[in-house]
Amino acid sequence: MRSGSRNVTVAHALAATCAMLAASYAVPAKAQSGEPINIGFISELSGAYSFFGTACKQGLEFAEKKIASEGGVLNRPLKFIMMDDQTNPAQAVAAARSLDVQQKVVALTGPTSSDIALAVYGYAEQNKVPFVVPVAAFAQLTKPGTKYTFRVEPDAVGWGYAAVKFMAARKPGAKIALMYNDIALARAIMAGIKYQAAKDKLTIVADVLFPQGSNDATVQAAQVVAAKPDFVYLSTVGAFDITTTNQLLDLGIKPEQIIHNVGQTTTLLSYGKRSVGSIYGTFFDANLENVTAEGHTFIDDFTKQIGRLPSYTENYCYNTAYIIKAAIAKAGTADREKFRAAMSSLDMVEPTSGVPITFDKNGARKEYMYYMQLTGVQPKSYTAKKLFYTEWAPETLPVYDLVK
Amino acid sequence: MSMSPILLIGISMVTTGLVLGVIFSLVAAGVTIVYGSIWLPNAANGQFFLTAALICWSFTTWFGLPTWAAALLTLAVSLPISYFLEATLIRRFYDVPDRNIAYFVVTLGVTQILSGIFSVTYGRWSDQFNLPSVISGVTFIGPFPMTNDRIFVLIVATVLLTLLFAMLRFHPYGRGLRAVFQNREAAALRGVNVRAIYRFSFALGMLSIFSGGILYGLAYSFDLTVAWTMAVTAFAIMIVGGPGSVVGAVVIGMVFGFTQAGVSIFASPTVATFSYLAAMLFILLIKPSGLFAR
Repeated sequence: MRSGSRNVTVAHALAATCAMLAASYAVPAKAQSGEPINIGFISELSGAYSFFGTACKQGLEFAEKKIASEGGVLNRPLKFIMMDDQTNPAQAVAAARSLDVQQKVVALTGPTSSDIALAVYGYAEQNKVPFVVPVAAFAQLTKPGTKYTFRVEPDAVGWGYAAVKFMAARKPGAKIALMYNDIALARAIMAGIKYQAAKDKLTIVADVLFPQGSNDATVQAAQVVAAKPDFVYLSTVGAFDITTTNQLLDLGIKPEQIIHNVGQTTTLLSYGKRSVGSIYGTFFDANLENVTAEGHTFIDDFTKQIGRLPSYTENYCYNTAYIIKAAIAKAGTADREKFRAAMSSLDMVEPTSGVPITFDKNGARKEYMYYMQLTGVQPKSYTAKKLFYTEWAPETLPVYDLVK
Repeated sequence: MSMSPILLIGISMVTTGLVLGVIFSLVAAGVTIVYGSIWLPNAANGQFFLTAALICWSFTTWFGLPTWAAALLTLAVSLPISYFLEATLIRRFYDVPDRNIAYFVVTLGVTQILSGIFSVTYGRWSDQFNLPSVISGVTFIGPFPMTNDRIFVLIVATVLLTLLFAMLRFHPYGRGLRAVFQNREAAALRGVNVRAIYRFSFALGMLSIFSGGILYGLAYSFDLTVAWTMAVTAFAIMIVGGPGSVVGAVVIGMVFGFTQAGVSIFASPTVATFSYLAAMLFILLIKPSGLFAR
């Protein structure tokens, strides 16, 4: 009897294994069986932010394919309808309207520029369309009273808070110099730095604001050198970031003294070998130890196809697809209100890194930041090591008082 | 670091002023040569400036050429581009009355087209670009370490400006060009082939703008936004210097370079960016035709 039972169990196990194998091959076909669940993806595929919009789209497409191979959600394919906002807020709102009214999408996502995200935010809140912002850090996207917008990236004021925590841990009472462009993101970061520096007793010895379109920082770099800071925090943008970095290094600032607000792969490669030792903030990095097996698969596949390591931008857009999938699964339906409720009570981890994802009542995420040190730069890759990690609740800082 | 802060900042201001000044001068000279002969206010000058930097970057990155070879090839490429544009677009307006308005609109169109092309090609590739060094390392000027690339840029731009002046003064085409600047009807009566001079001036102007773009890419990292900054700067220099005046373009280009470097010390970089535009308005109030107008 016992033997017979064991045989039955083995037979069941074999049958179950065969069924699972069969099912695993059948899943993609099954995913296509229902009507697609449409999500509107509005991003900067041309115009000034085309690099970031395209990077976001690339990350999201990896997740879209993987979700399809996993059977979609609610046995239906999850489809992202892509629209180019041309880095133009008016165009983004027009795209949002089209996706809402004509395509009847469950939710909107996609912008990587805070200006664009703010334009879509207005539409989403007014028309009660859930909006999941993957990569835009302006705090006002989750100001008190926000109901339909959820921000995946930590807010920029918090970046400043994290930077001070890092510098204070590395050298208590440090003297810091700030160099930044006159853009909303950098102003918000600086508000966070100035607020927290006073609390943590760091001294700001130079505070240099550059207008957009600046091309030379030699003179300001000399002024910063003369102020003898322990750290120089840079929040300059695009090519000017590389120029400023090189001019600081030319004047004798050591790489270890330079802290970049964030590190994108293309930028880190452009810094070059002379920047090895410099520090950058990030929310995801291929060199982190906590990258999951799925994260490594994403990194490998992305690198093979795109030719460079993914940065936090691509990672956030990859994870955003999974956040949306999880919320739809939790809601059990493709209804907007139920999706919004599911987003509000979501409790998951990033598939690529295991970092927790929860949103507060205004849609702000529990925040965190890594500080990495560049340890090597090759023509198409780089290495880095983690120096610091911090996380904080959104209400730790008076964000909405600091940035209006 | 035991250097005198004042000396360090002072030398950094002078070197920055010189580097920016020669680049501004080259580009503005290119713009003013074309305006002076064809009456073409080239609104696309910033995009052509960027085109040069991007082409040079492509040669170095995708074909592995050394920067000096890539730069020479880029300058060579500017000639067929110029003659193609002249033959297909510019020439059609030579006999149009008030053609400067038509040209302005046409070049605005070219600006939009190039800007769109770059944003969906290079813009998706990266948000910043660097040209590999021609001469790596730094040279100390007193306490101030100046990169050898910038010294190289300064020397090359000065040589190019000198050659430009020499060509305008001594070469038959240069003399013809100056004659057309002064009075095209009289020049035609004296046997100058005005249409050939138009073609030549457009190519020469483009060559000058391309040179500026390449040298800028060597002195600084660049991104797609540099086109807009340069377009405004080059126009401002041309207007203050006097449209059609190469001397004016060079002098005011240097003044703008030093103004930007100097004001950014004594006021702020933000004030520096509009200080020269404010100076432009002030000068135009005193001398509406520009300081070095013919």
